Amino acid sequence: MSPQPFRTPAGGLIDRAKPFGFSFDGRRLEGYEGDTLASALLANGVRLVGRSFKYHRPRGILSAGSEEPNALVELRSGARREPNTRATTAELFDGLEAASQNRWPSLDFDLLSVNSLFGSALAAGFYYKTFMWPAAFWERVYEPLIRRAAGLGRAAVAADPDHYEKAFAFCDVLVIGGGPAGLSAALSAGRAGARVILCDEDFALGGRLLSDRRMIGGRPAADWLAATLAELESMPDMRLMRRSTVFGVYDHGVYGVVERVSDHLPTPPPFQPRQRSWRITAKRAILAAGAIERPVVFAGNDTPGVMLAGAVRSYVNRFGVLPGREAVLFTTGDDGWTTARDLADAGARVVAIVDARAEIDAGLRALAERIGARLVTGAVVESAHGGKALRGISVRNAAGHHVEMACDLLAVSNGWNPTLHLTSHQNTRPVWDATIAAFVPGAMPPGLVAAGSAAGRFRLEQALDGGARLGAEAAAECGHGRGAGTTDRTADDEGLPATPVWRVSGGSGRKRGKAFVDFQNDVTDFDIELSAREGFRAVEHLKRYTTLGMATDQGKTSNVSGLALMAEQTGKLIPDTGTTIFRPPYTPVAIGALGGHHRGRDFRPTRISPTHAWSERQGAVFIESGAWIRAQYYPQPGERDWLETVNREVLAVRAGVGVCDVSTLGKIDLQGRDVGVFLDRVYCNTWSTLPIGKARYGLMLREDGFVMDDGTTSRLADDHYLMTTTTANAGKVMQHLEFCHQVLWPELDVRMVSVSERWAQAAIAGPRSRDVLRGVVDGQHDISDDAFPYLAAREVTVGGGIPARLFRISFSGERAFELAVPSGFGDAMMQAIMASGRDYGITPYGLEALGVLRIEKGHVAGSELNGQTTARDLGLGKMMSSKKDYIGRLMATRPALVEAERPTLAGFRPVDASQRLRAGAHFLGLGQPASIENDEGHMTSTAYSPHLRSWIGLGRIRNGATRIGERVRAYDPVRNGDVVVEICNPVFFDPEGARLHG
Amino acid sequence: MAEPSSSAAGWRSQSAWAGVAVSGHLGADGGAGVTVCCLRDVGMATLIAPKRREAALIAAVEARYGMRLPEDPRTVENGGVRAVWAGPDQWLLVTADVSGVETLREVIADLGAVSDQTGSRAVLRVSGRAIRAALAKGCMIDLHDGSFPVGAAALSSIAHIGVHLWRLADGPDGAVFEIAAPRSIAGSFWSWFAASAAEFGCAVVVES
Amino acid sequence: MRIDCPHCGSRDVQEFIYLRDAGPRRPDGMAATLAEMHVYLHERDNPAGRHRELWYHGSGCRAWLVVTRDTRTHAVFAVEALPASVESAST
Ligand SMILES: [Zn+2]
Repeated sequence: MSPQPFRTPAGGLIDRAKPFGFSFDGRRLEGYEGDTLASALLANGVRLVGRSFKYHRPRGILSAGSEEPNALVELRSGARREPNTRATTAELFDGLEAASQNRWPSLDFDLLSVNSLFGSALAAGFYYKTFMWPAAFWERVYEPLIRRAAGLGRAAVAADPDHYEKAFAFCDVLVIGGGPAGLSAALSAGRAGARVILCDEDFALGGRLLSDRRMIGGRPAADWLAATLAELESMPDMRLMRRSTVFGVYDHGVYGVVERVSDHLPTPPPFQPRQRSWRITAKRAILAAGAIERPVVFAGNDTPGVMLAGAVRSYVNRFGVLPGREAVLFTTGDDGWTTARDLADAGARVVAIVDARAEIDAGLRALAERIGARLVTGAVVESAHGGKALRGISVRNAAGHHVEMACDLLAVSNGWNPTLHLTSHQNTRPVWDATIAAFVPGAMPPGLVAAGSAAGRFRLEQALDGGARLGAEAAAECGHGRGAGTTDRTADDEGLPATPVWRVSGGSGRKRGKAFVDFQNDVTDFDIELSAREGFRAVEHLKRYTTLGMATDQGKTSNVSGLALMAEQTGKLIPDTGTTIFRPPYTPVAIGALGGHHRGRDFRPTRISPTHAWSERQGAVFIESGAWIRAQYYPQPGERDWLETVNREVLAVRAGVGVCDVSTLGKIDLQGRDVGVFLDRVYCNTWSTLPIGKARYGLMLREDGFVMDDGTTSRLADDHYLMTTTTANAGKVMQHLEFCHQVLWPELDVRMVSVSERWAQAAIAGPRSRDVLRGVVDGQHDISDDAFPYLAAREVTVGGGIPARLFRISFSGERAFELAVPSGFGDAMMQAIMASGRDYGITPYGLEALGVLRIEKGHVAGSELNGQTTARDLGLGKMMSSKKDYIGRLMATRPALVEAERPTLAGFRPVDASQRLRAGAHFLGLGQPASIENDEGHMTSTAYSPHLRSWIGLGRIRNGATRIGERVRAYDPVRNGDVVVEICNPVFFDPEGARLHG
Repeated sequence: MAEPSSSAAGWRSQSAWAGVAVSGHLGADGGAGVTVCCLRDVGMATLIAPKRREAALIAAVEARYGMRLPEDPRTVENGGVRAVWAGPDQWLLVTADVSGVETLREVIADLGAVSDQTGSRAVLRVSGRAIRAALAKGCMIDLHDGSFPVGAAALSSIAHIGVHLWRLADGPDGAVFEIAAPRSIAGSFWSWFAASAAEFGCAVVVES
Repeated sequence: MRIDCPHCGSRDVQEFIYLRDAGPRRPDGMAATLAEMHVYLHERDNPAGRHRELWYHGSGCRAWLVVTRDTRTHAVFAVEALPASVESAST
């Protein structure tokens, strides 16, 4: 391992007793606990960190925070490889593997940097102009080309092995940012007794106090910071969330936060997530997110070694790193001078201070003298050069002469922009404050206020005072009093704000190099001029034409410069040119964090029937059906495929008896005097005449006249009914019935509740079904054909007194029953049915056989009730009562829904019985070409019928009912299907229904 | 053809947690920051009052059970019978065993609708110093003392699963909650709960 | 977004399901015409601003509610329980 040549001998907040080994592009390096990857790279003298997006320009580290546009790296390897991570926020850990990205074959020698030579070809609008035509080329040629040439890192190809979580939190006051303003706000709100959550994206709290040498109350700011944190930690309702970025502001005080729980560790500790996404609901929130320093646009301003002055202070003071040994400061205000001072005090040579202002305070002149820096006033840096590492700059002095200076670090100080991004997430715009030459928060989302630098109040005293005042106010608005305790909030002085220089033009004889506005998207000042010339002057057009601000950093370091340059081009003021608003997320958020626990098996909740374990013991194969996991079929040893199994199950039902779980049906308990009337209004058929102890098939329409759902409903007592719904629509029907009752007809005495989970239900179907049930239902209940005929429905008991319900209903067309017992007895019920049915050869059957049996009988199900069919389309038009009003009655009479040509339900059989039918095939007349005009309908369900030894299908075809015997094509180009089929009665089996009654 | 019934076949009810949770310790080693008891199925019924005629029903319940049905999201308990608010004019009655539902039916008679819900929900009783932190990973309501005191109840959703939850009297480790999830979703609910409680260490007791 | 259910208290919008404008009244009964039903079902104002609308607290108390909301800002001015609001609106 190499020493750390650019580490200062002492100082900083790193723990020099805890060295960490890490690698960058395979090179083994060392840093310390408390480093970021960026600070550790700089400590090792690594300047070149990546290649730029479009031109593959060599890039280094510009900033020390989440605004970093350049230093994007891949972290970790294998399944944990994560691209586009900012080296400036990646916390160093022992064993960290990092790699540069967007270069080939190596960072040092990148072939695609030739893009830079053809720079003019790749200027703004290039993609629009070059790749407009022909359209088909986009997919095949242009996009792959662009993707190879211009890109970011590589995503991992293996599934992410780590876990993520979601979490919810509530508080009175959310404080966003843990710098001096945020800490003051949390302190005063907490002292008043408010529930407070403070979030900061950094792993250490303190904000700029960690990076600047400041005094509070006459003592080093570190003392104030330590005392404040100790007091906050002691408060019971105070939650300090480090490594937590507030990334979005949503309606009604809801904030999105991502907490990087384990990103600073090689792998998450056992049972810990990598990241956790929080949804925090706060009555009040205080934005104390600080400010982001602005670069200056000049030629070569992207050369590794050109850095923001505040970032330089962070590296020097917080991390004990010299980002260079021969430094020049280019500043437009007093703030930058502290960088020169701190660099000098840490042992760097400050070659020169280039201040754009002509007049400089005497104190500053004395400072320049003390540190031995050459002072050039009224001057600007016109260009930086050096390629992969800064070697020198060209300064244009007040007299217009050029002065060349050698240096390896250029610190640029051009004032700060408030970090106001979150304030515009509700679509409100920032406003221009000429006194600080920056945008400040304008109209705010309700409940959110800004404090300190985020509000454009950059002075430390303003941050401390404003934070404390707003924290107390927020607590008071949440019903808390004023807290006790005082803090000395006087701070040391900090000179004059910047008079920004947005761009340095001019070329000093040689061809001027590129001057970048947006580093991440490689947008230059030339691109903005071009955009203006070509008429894309509105800020939203400028963004889209040049891609300014549209990279993953959302233009944190570029938007304001871009606006300033456009203002310059159009001769307007910056506020008249426009503002941009920001959208969530503030910084990129992994999809995994947003999904949390809900991936893979837990993608969504799944439901299992109370007979599931029994089916497992029978060797069932299961299938997802909506939210349910259902038994699809029950293979037996020796069966070669699912079809053989299903055929056996189907034949067994029709020949003897089978049993199938139907617990998944929706069940709604309806009680009250007016239930009969209510059912009349929600079903299209008549209900008020249903006798007690009987079930009836019901068809429910939507108000627009299309079929919503079907099922049987039984009358258990005078004012007590039990409705069943299809499995898929159980929730939707419940919601609909609640709507009908609560909104449409609240005067009806109806009380309803879902009892779907209360009952385990089995269908026992086949000629021997009654014999089987006789051995299950308690003896006192007469279930003979006379006493319990088709459509009987009654409460019975099983197992010697266990309440149960028995329905004589049939989906298969056979004599059949459905038996319901309390869910806890589901397993016992299946065992009892199997025991009783053993002598009759009872056969468990699954969802597939259920489907075959119902298609053989022409019963409609989900594929037919698809929301586009009317009762008439399904051959159920006669069910629609003409004597009463019901949901959907009038709309079902619309001309288009009753026209004769509408496809209606029919059966279909292949003329060649060996041919397979497929659902989804479209019907065409024989010999007709496949075109929209010739489309006559489509196949909705198909099955192999072991009785007919042929595939059969249900479908809807024009004038279906009148075309029995006619032949058409079932055309399925997706699966190469083209089968001649004969239209037939949809009831393939026992069309007289003789078997139903036994 | 009246044959004898098969009551001798030994019909036994299974807990909603059968095959889902097992007693023991899950997650991080060391102490248990979370304690969970998977309750056996108890008697449960939905009670719905006729609109604007809830007074008679409330009076009948008070006379028989000595507790007043809450008309806001709370729960009350007396003599082993618990009533949990379940929406406007609706309550979930929880009794020690199934026969309690029959008693309720007699008490209510025609004053309201009683629907037996025994076995329809899988119920967890959860506590421990880290219980709120564990529940926060899916529970979308604020369980802080100020918002959800002892006796509070709520219908909400946890990890996309509709739940009914209420807070019992505090235990030795502070707050104690009961959470009822639909029986068919017990597996998914447990998967979420186990993952959420794991980092704190979790003691699991499954009632038989 | 959050909705303050009059029965349950303030809840995340995820617990609710939006239906439609709360204004239209269903033309009940056999005397109703197709034209009236068409108006009820399809004709809607689309105001930029205050809007009374029907929401269902599906993951909560299962009550249908009338929420008065600004369609531009999502500001919620009132959340009313049914059926009182229906009766008052129909008189
Ligand atoms: Zn509610």
